[in-house]
Amino acid sequence: MTEKVEAEYKGGIHNYEAAIKDGKQQPYRHIGKYRVRADARKIVTGTATFLDDFTVPHMIYARILRSPYAHAKITRIDVEKAKAVPGVHCVLTYKDLPKGWILGWPPHKLLLDQTVYFAGDPVAICAADTKDIADEALELVEVEYEKLPAVFDAVEALKPDAPVIFPGKFKSGTNEVDPGVPHFQPEGPWWRMENGDVEEGFKEAKWTAEGMFEFNKMPAPNAPEPPGAIVRWEGGEDYTIWATSQSPYICKLYNEPRIPHSSLHIKTFNVGGSYGNKQSLSVTILCCALAAQVTGLPVKNFMSKTEQLVAHEQRLGSKIKAKIGLNEDGIFCAIKGCWYVDTGALADAVQGQVGVGLGEAQIVMAKCKNWDLDSKVVATNKCPAGIVRGYGGQELNSALARLMSETMRQADMNPLEVFKKNYISKGDKFIWRDGLWWQSRSSMMYPEAMQKTADVFGWDKKWKGWLVPTSVNGRKAIGVGMGVIGNADVGEDNTEAFVRVVGDIKGRGGRVIVQCDLTESGMGQRAAGAKFAAEVLHVPIDKVYVTEPDSINNPTNFGLCGSRGTITTGKAVTRAALDAKHKIQALAAAYFGNISPDQIEIENFQAFIRDRPDKCVPIKKLGPKDLNIIGYGQHIEQFDMPSCCCCFVEVEVDLDTGLAKVTRFMNGTDIGQIIDNRMVRMQLQGGIGSACLDTATYEECIYDTEGTGRMLTSNMLEYKWRPFNEFPQHKSAILESQPDSFMFKGIGIGEISGAASASATLMAISNAIGAVVNEYPATPAVILKAIKEKAKKA
Amino acid sequence: MLGRSTELFIESYRNTFAITKCGPPSLAGIRILSIKILSDKGEIWVEKQSVVFTVNGQKHEFLIGEKTGMVPPSETLVETLRKRLELTGAKQSCDEGACGCCTVIKDGDAIASCMILTVQCDGSEITTIEGLEDPVTHELDPIQKKFIDCYSFQCGYCTPGIIMSAKALFMKKPEPTAAEIRDALSGNYCRCISHYTVLEALDKLAGNKSDQYEIVNEAGEEK
Repeated sequence: MTEKVEAEYKGGIHNYEAAIKDGKQQPYRHIGKYRVRADARKIVTGTATFLDDFTVPHMIYARILRSPYAHAKITRIDVEKAKAVPGVHCVLTYKDLPKGWILGWPPHKLLLDQTVYFAGDPVAICAADTKDIADEALELVEVEYEKLPAVFDAVEALKPDAPVIFPGKFKSGTNEVDPGVPHFQPEGPWWRMENGDVEEGFKEAKWTAEGMFEFNKMPAPNAPEPPGAIVRWEGGEDYTIWATSQSPYICKLYNEPRIPHSSLHIKTFNVGGSYGNKQSLSVTILCCALAAQVTGLPVKNFMSKTEQLVAHEQRLGSKIKAKIGLNEDGIFCAIKGCWYVDTGALADAVQGQVGVGLGEAQIVMAKCKNWDLDSKVVATNKCPAGIVRGYGGQELNSALARLMSETMRQADMNPLEVFKKNYISKGDKFIWRDGLWWQSRSSMMYPEAMQKTADVFGWDKKWKGWLVPTSVNGRKAIGVGMGVIGNADVGEDNTEAFVRVVGDIKGRGGRVIVQCDLTESGMGQRAAGAKFAAEVLHVPIDKVYVTEPDSINNPTNFGLCGSRGTITTGKAVTRAALDAKHKIQALAAAYFGNISPDQIEIENFQAFIRDRPDKCVPIKKLGPKDLNIIGYGQHIEQFDMPSCCCCFVEVEVDLDTGLAKVTRFMNGTDIGQIIDNRMVRMQLQGGIGSACLDTATYEECIYDTEGTGRMLTSNMLEYKWRPFNEFPQHKSAILESQPDSFMFKGIGIGEISGAASASATLMAISNAIGAVVNEYPATPAVILKAIKEKAKKA
Repeated sequence: MLGRSTELFIESYRNTFAITKCGPPSLAGIRILSIKILSDKGEIWVEKQSVVFTVNGQKHEFLIGEKTGMVPPSETLVETLRKRLELTGAKQSCDEGACGCCTVIKDGDAIASCMILTVQCDGSEITTIEGLEDPVTHELDPIQKKFIDCYSFQCGYCTPGIIMSAKALFMKKPEPTAAEIRDALSGNYCRCISHYTVLEALDKLAGNKSDQYEIVNEAGEEK
């Protein structure tokens, strides 16, 4: 792309809603620029409220006794001693569970059961005056277990002699979970990508690769703030719930059917990191709700870090056994195989992630015409898998990209060129997670974005070929790798917004109030909501107030998942603001008389005739006394704007110790239009955290599969991650091609910003040491083994 | 209760406390706190029924024991700060000293307040994130200001801890090197990735240049 074209793409040239001055459209006032979040001062002074900083009068504390075994039957449980502890309000076990409190899809796991399905599964709930009393009481619960055989691997769990974990719950009669999930696939289950003729496709292939590739260590997103909730039963079917959920709507959607005859009012605060991982919080919320119903008191449960690590949701386990073909032109021409998804001891809409995973594979290999990629979701006796940033696509890509690399390596093709050629472009069709065909009308500039990122990274100079290090300095070998991924969930699910223009007493100023049910869990989307309204209604951002996140006092917003916030909140809020603006223009035109509404401009709560600022009236005076001018806008789900994020990684491997260090990390995209210059970079940098980049080198959950069946990485000393003083250099490359996503042309990116980074890192390590490494994480032991095998062969 | 002179004595030796021990509860439920002080005259044991310390310039005294309102000897500083003093800026996250979300400054050092018992803080001067803002002018600390200007946070849960670790470093050394800044923050866990903008803010305050991150306009620089 030439600099001129690039310059034209930039900078809000299409702002049709900006005020026209001197016959010219004005540039964006706020879009594209860093604007301080309304909660910034509270964050840096420690006064922002998170769930654990909040109390409800007469609140008591629930703690949970958890199973020490991966699979066992409770043969005896006695809670009398625990109940007798002063300050204890209730101790509840499976014997106390009312009918219908059941988790998963299809519903298969009772909140409390006589069988426990993983080490960490709830056995008893105690609610007491203090956390300490509850913990002390739970130590007095007497439980006897009969151990049952357990299984810790999806492929093992499908073997005929494997223990069946949930007998009678799945149609398969085995550990294979029913495909499909109604909310994400309303037209019916979809779990297998079939298209074209695979056999014919392989005939076209010049290079093929085949095998089992794994990304199976189910690493932990481990948000700093553990999951928690306070539940107050209001009597009858009403519950008020304060939760660490990033989406009140999803929290309500998932939990209402699980608490029979309930109506949930969900409220959230600032959420201390989520990465998609703190949404439904079903186990926490149901435990509190049950205790609240029994005691009549508000009940709080806030997980410990160990509980978060061993019993909250992790990344799903991923193994793909497949064959892939690449043709002479560097186009993938056929893929056949099966993706095995380990969902642990609960399948809670994992099927939606499978749909997205299969969809993302098509976006990366959009030119491939021949597909037969099946999937199987399998239950095992591990901590449940759940939603984590990357949402199936990352877990599949981390394995699939290694298979793709095998053919590119055989063909000796530069992966940058292959990825560019195969990536989805405008007009390409794909099946998304709803099982329907969609056609991309997204950016044409994704290959350019990849090239630009490569240029900034210096790929041309650093890429020396497959399994060839960039350089070797003494015993330190440098290697580079890259990966690409895309996501069409950026337009998923429906959202609506109200925008109210509220004049002050005299009409000289006022407030714009945005109602869109937006929770702040770090992405800055509340600030974006304010920015959208400020831009359209031409008011300072600090005059825009975004209402508190709450499932009743706001219209519906599905929540901030799948990077959907930018387009969906953007569309709903800008449409609502525009609706309000049109009403103001119509009223002002009538007020001035003999003028078209199009000639009315608004600024700072005043309406005036364009280029005649003397003809000005406070908006407050246009409508009925004391009433607001209210606009409404909505976004309806669409999957036709796939995003793109490429990652480039440079590693340094110590050939003696096998230690691989990521020294440079870069990602790039065509973001459409930057909404906030700093926030977008933070989203890209976020691809290092939440179990993304470092799943390549050290993040993993380790189970004692031969012994206790427990997770050994059960605290932050054992679960290894990168400290502050070991961060690589980061850069980004961002194009802004202004596709027609919504009024301000942006596309969300955070979901996938690190999704291709782990596979890129394994590519870089393989190149550095001159031997293929396909094992996650590539610890020093793994790398040394590869180096030794290479030496043996030589 | 101890007399004023004993308090002054403890105050003068507060940096040399080596061991604190708690006795069994008395009939009134109060426990006796024994503090071993190493002085040039040898070991001295001082006994107290309460723990006294200063938080953000305000002195607090708590009886030690299990009865309502008393601080039990098992209570950690983060619990006292959050529950009794309603200073909830320090977060109780991992509760094992591994995440840094509970970092406060005790007698000039950044510490994990989940790893120290409140009874061990007798005589200490503690600053929490809430204590950085000027109580009269409400002006923020330069680190806090720079964090806003550079957008040095995402979810903000770990931010108070990061700021307190940085503040302790800057108190000791107003212009730390890039390496000193990074080492000082090595105990602070952030999972959203605010690292680059945190380092940008602190490097700028310390006058360091770094090519570890990109620099775009700060808040004040965006018109």
